[in-house]
Amino acid sequence: MIAPMLSVRNLRAAYGPVQVLFDVDFDVAPGSVTTLIGANGAGKTTIMKSVAGLMMPIGGAILFEGRDITRAPSHDRVNSGLSLIPEGRLVFPGMTVEQNLRLGAIAPAARSGHSEMLADVFRRFPRLEERRSQHAGLMSGGEQQMLALGRGLMARPRLILMDEPTLGLAPVMVKQVFETIRELRASGFTILLAEQNARVALELADQAYLLENGRVALSGPGAELLDSHDVRRAYLGM
Amino acid sequence: MRLGSALWIALAGFGAAVPFFGSTYLMGVVFQVAMWIALAQSWSMLSATTGYLSLGHAVFYGVGAYVCVLLTGIIPFEFAILAAAGSAALFAALIGLPVLRVRGPYFVILTYGLSELVRHVVMRIESALGSFGRMIFDVPAQEVLLWWMVGLAVLATLGAYAIRHSRFGAGLAAIREDEVAAQTIGVPVTRLKLLAFIASAAIPGAVGGLALLRTSYFEPAQAFDPVISFTIVTMALVGGTDSVRGPILGAMGFALLSELLWSTLPQLYMIVLGLTLIVFVLFVPRGLSGLVGRIGGAR
Repeated sequence: MIAPMLSVRNLRAAYGPVQVLFDVDFDVAPGSVTTLIGANGAGKTTIMKSVAGLMMPIGGAILFEGRDITRAPSHDRVNSGLSLIPEGRLVFPGMTVEQNLRLGAIAPAARSGHSEMLADVFRRFPRLEERRSQHAGLMSGGEQQMLALGRGLMARPRLILMDEPTLGLAPVMVKQVFETIRELRASGFTILLAEQNARVALELADQAYLLENGRVALSGPGAELLDSHDVRRAYLGM
Repeated sequence: MRLGSALWIALAGFGAAVPFFGSTYLMGVVFQVAMWIALAQSWSMLSATTGYLSLGHAVFYGVGAYVCVLLTGIIPFEFAILAAAGSAALFAALIGLPVLRVRGPYFVILTYGLSELVRHVVMRIESALGSFGRMIFDVPAQEVLLWWMVGLAVLATLGAYAIRHSRFGAGLAAIREDEVAAQTIGVPVTRLKLLAFIASAAIPGAVGGLALLRTSYFEPAQAFDPVISFTIVTMALVGGTDSVRGPILGAMGFALLSELLWSTLPQLYMIVLGLTLIVFVLFVPRGLSGLVGRIGGAR
């Protein structure tokens, strides 16, 4: 078996006195799409933030390509090839599309060849090239999601963390986001996806983890969870 | 923009040449203008770039003045000025981490409160030592002080320009736009904020030292006067925070205005300062720099 790109072991996290993650374990295999599904408040975003270094866990370990990054600052993680596309997109609203993208390459490891990367992002998202001088705050939610993803790609990640990329998007845009995730996997990127939209996420995912109240309740290949009686009843409304 | 740069160089040259042809009065005016340019420009290194509005920059000016008065007569004044800059930078480094943890209005209030705290501490120390103001006797010639101050204004302007056009400045702009997003794209947020804070404190320390030598009198309530902080913020905002020429325009405008009003109606100066700030914040958000840009057709 190939070594996982990301390993999370016994992860525990808390907001003040309230513990929200309880010994969460999961792996992300290189080249795969791994998804975390679960209801609001199950702990998906907390896991993403812990892996990206935006919050410090109270226990457990996070290994990226074999290296312990549990306590590493977020900029070190970006620089070593891990990029978070945050929930709510968080583009820089007062800056243009191009300024947003160029800032994405601010990590030292991304500096060389960032013009090629910009060309690559424009090839993947022609819409961003058309709008390169537009202020990001004036774009639609779907366009901002593309921009957030493009900005994340500018850091030349090997592992992309996508936190709720379809939140608040129109159905046609949701489809496009998942299409993009497929393309990124085909280009060799590894993706960890937190998604409320369980059905589409499971159809796409190589490996899936169902979270309930801060614990992994069920795990397996995406197709397997899709067929599971419990998942169908609780999350797919069947 | 090349014309603009030539204009600024000519202006700095004029300032430095004033002792050869100008009156003592004109030297005083140029000293004031250069001083406010240096202060407003330094302030902009932190506050215009990151959006962390400091309302306590008087503390760095005061620390510089205090260090300078303690060292004058012990070491040559050039070293006292450098020590003043170094102490202000060191002070910023020490308080930076806790202070920069808070954002928005809390940062504004905290910087103001901190500056007032230091002012009162120094006042207590001085009165406990039985000193009610310290005189300095052996001060350098006025033109030497003027050259130093013009040099600091130029240095602050070049520094602010260099920061804005560097990767460091790009990181600071990301912090201003959205600090969490900046963190996710790999900006070392805490480190950059601290560096900007230190950079914006150093020159005000030296300015405080020079201003002290010029008046040859140290009195804590004056050296840490919160009006210094208010004036810096007003000048920078009225001048415009989008470009380095903003603080220059704002400082020049107000320093000249104060010269006009001071002799006739001194009380009117603070009123005009306040009114102008209100008008600009409400109606001219991009400041004098934005107005000049629109007229000149430049960015």
